[in-house]
Amino acid sequence: MSSVTGRNKTPVKTAQSTATVADPARRRLLTAGLAAGAGAALSGLAARPAAAAGGDPLITQVQDWNRYLGDGVDAKPYGTPSQFEAEVVRRDVPWLTADPVSSVNFTPLHELDGIITPNGLCFERHHGGTAEISPADHRLMIEGLVDKPLIFTMEDIKRFPRENRVYFLECAANSGMEWRGAQLNGCQFTHGMVHCVVYTGVPLRTLLEEAGVKSNSKWLLAEGADASAMTRSIPMEKALDDCMVAFKMNGEALRPEQGYPLRLVVPGWEGNMWVKWLRRLEVGDEPWHHREETSKYTDLLANGKARRFTWVMDVKSVITSPSPQAPVTHGRGPLVISGLAWSGNGTIKRVDVSTDGGRNWKTARIDGPSLSKALHRFYLDIDWDGSEMLLQSRAIDEHGYVQPTKDALRLARGENSIYHNNGIQTWYVQANGTVENVEVS
Amino acid sequence: MSKFLKLATAASLALMIPVASAAAEGDAGEGEKVFKKCAACHAVGEGAKHKVGPELNALIGRPAGTVDGFKYSKAMVEAGEGGVVWSEETLHDYLEKPRDYIKGNRMSFAGLKKEDERADVIAYLKTFSAGAQPAAAAPAEAAPAQQAAVVAAPADAKNAPLPDHGVFHLGREATPEEIAAWNIDVRPDGTGLPEGRGTVAEGETIFAEQCAVCHGDFGEGRDRWPVLAGGQDTLKADRPVKTIGSYWPYLSTVYDYVRRAMPFGDARSLSDDDVYAITAYLLYLNDIVTDEDFELSKENFTSVRLPNEENFFMDDREEEAHYAAKTEPCMTDCKPGPVKITKRAAVLDVTPDADNEDQGVGAVD
Repeated sequence: MSSVTGRNKTPVKTAQSTATVADPARRRLLTAGLAAGAGAALSGLAARPAAAAGGDPLITQVQDWNRYLGDGVDAKPYGTPSQFEAEVVRRDVPWLTADPVSSVNFTPLHELDGIITPNGLCFERHHGGTAEISPADHRLMIEGLVDKPLIFTMEDIKRFPRENRVYFLECAANSGMEWRGAQLNGCQFTHGMVHCVVYTGVPLRTLLEEAGVKSNSKWLLAEGADASAMTRSIPMEKALDDCMVAFKMNGEALRPEQGYPLRLVVPGWEGNMWVKWLRRLEVGDEPWHHREETSKYTDLLANGKARRFTWVMDVKSVITSPSPQAPVTHGRGPLVISGLAWSGNGTIKRVDVSTDGGRNWKTARIDGPSLSKALHRFYLDIDWDGSEMLLQSRAIDEHGYVQPTKDALRLARGENSIYHNNGIQTWYVQANGTVENVEVS
Repeated sequence: MSKFLKLATAASLALMIPVASAAAEGDAGEGEKVFKKCAACHAVGEGAKHKVGPELNALIGRPAGTVDGFKYSKAMVEAGEGGVVWSEETLHDYLEKPRDYIKGNRMSFAGLKKEDERADVIAYLKTFSAGAQPAAAAPAEAAPAQQAAVVAAPADAKNAPLPDHGVFHLGREATPEEIAAWNIDVRPDGTGLPEGRGTVAEGETIFAEQCAVCHGDFGEGRDRWPVLAGGQDTLKADRPVKTIGSYWPYLSTVYDYVRRAMPFGDARSLSDDDVYAITAYLLYLNDIVTDEDFELSKENFTSVRLPNEENFFMDDREEEAHYAAKTEPCMTDCKPGPVKITKRAAVLDVTPDADNEDQGVGAVD
């Protein structure tokens, strides 16, 4: 099975490399060694750390952290993760875009658990860099087909009744690089343009009602204050349904890269519509057909025609561990298969997992809250016999939509859609625990 | 923004306090922001090195074209030999239109048309020249004063007047000037188009100065910057080229987008006429107009249609076979025999790493 090329330079961790191999050169050596040595590379895998003669020195000898005092309470007024978690960071794919100012990076899904994404790990996508705006200088304007055009300061917005909601945000182009086949080795890169946080904000409906929406209004234009002045047209029905104007995420102020001080929340719909640095809402009777809803974020089909206004993010799931960046390091025995599922239509009803490439399925266990339009965490706890696996997950949402295979999507749409690829992902787990992104028959 | 203006807004004063002649002096803090336009090519500050252009430390008082280790154009060296020394005055003139001030010099930047932007950026650069005064004083002063104003505002909460609009009586009415300043959006039916006009030929000149550095002289796109022209009849091909001519449904989108977001990194710097001219030139590059004298204006704008308009349709994903059925999915023996691997990411190996420069296909935008 080893057609792996000799120049293995991916961040794929091997079974032998422990989670904290920081030196890339050493990591490459390990990976290359694996590719060359292939089958016999089981040494150190199945072997559990045997107690050295007289016992584990980490236990039998007094350790520094057990003897010397640690930092006091004010060492880090704003806490940061442990130094041993330094690899848990967003990463980008430089060849995807022309310039880092208009680009994207990816959430390290393979390192996370539960359903909430930490603020500093939420993927970033901006079109004109991160705007730095003082809340004192920020204004939100509501105008157009309203009884009275209004200007709100941040102070004004924080005087409206607010609510807390957990929602996923997925970029429409998430998995967009995989339309032509398996390309990127890591669920951070194949699926990392998604995050899920709890937002605090004001229902958009409340703000619109304050200005008084006229009866002929059908569309809303949301605009950002950044250097791209991002705009999207949103149907009024959605605006009055569950949209929010949020100023906090996971309890603290929005991060600058997530639109500080104010962003739009458009639950279940593509991330591009969640306008950051939100400064203007215009009520109108027709859509505006701006760049991000014509030239971009339209889905070109094989017949040369293109879908527009493909807002909803379809039912989708992915196994986050094991995955290429999170190999199996422990040999046969108990193995936790863990993943995420979500749907822009509502809650996830069920997730099935296959270990044989989709021939047979077992229903996974969803653990933690099951909230509408939020990430769901699923687990399948198996007794791994150490043989190869082709792992897949398949989500079904509360409306009965079933996550399709990638081939079914290609059959319907061709390979040039870029956006809305929610096909079933396959991870090839080798006997030595290494995991690779593949597609199957 | 000057500190006076900040104070004014913080205190919710309706009246504008006349701003002192801050522009003439230049605000180094503002200049730091303006300098972002220059930073693609110039570095300044501790450890600054030459980039596309020379580093700009100790600029004031230096004869033109004389920094060690930078290869200047002949024109710039000759200007220095001819007596041009960088001072506030010479920089002020040079930065307005660099190519006119020293003809034949290599700096491709079109210039800073706004006088106060030039003053600000010069003030900023002065802080890196010998004998300069520390620049940070002004903004630091403003902050506490502003806070004090905010705290002091609701002195008489009981008798503060409430606006009569809405349910919560929050916010204030927007002025027509404010709406006009932000509402610059244009729709396919022409709503929002400003007065103005521009020809293909005018557009070509502006495009060469402002756009070609990323998009190429003919809209062919440099590196991975967007291709703007060509690509007709490629939408069914393996690698479609989606341009204004081949893909975009409405011309209004071009006008709207260029006006709000281009040039990249210097948004809102083009005049409405400039945008008409650039839009006309883009039509010309896409063979939608063929006459170099063609003039695009508010009046004739909606008469121009883009060829791909009819090929867009509303989202109908629900009708795709895999969704329409909504059937209970198969759980056992769903495929005839053992499953085979058909595609492998490791073969392609485009996953980013410190030294993997291989590139894959696809784009996120």
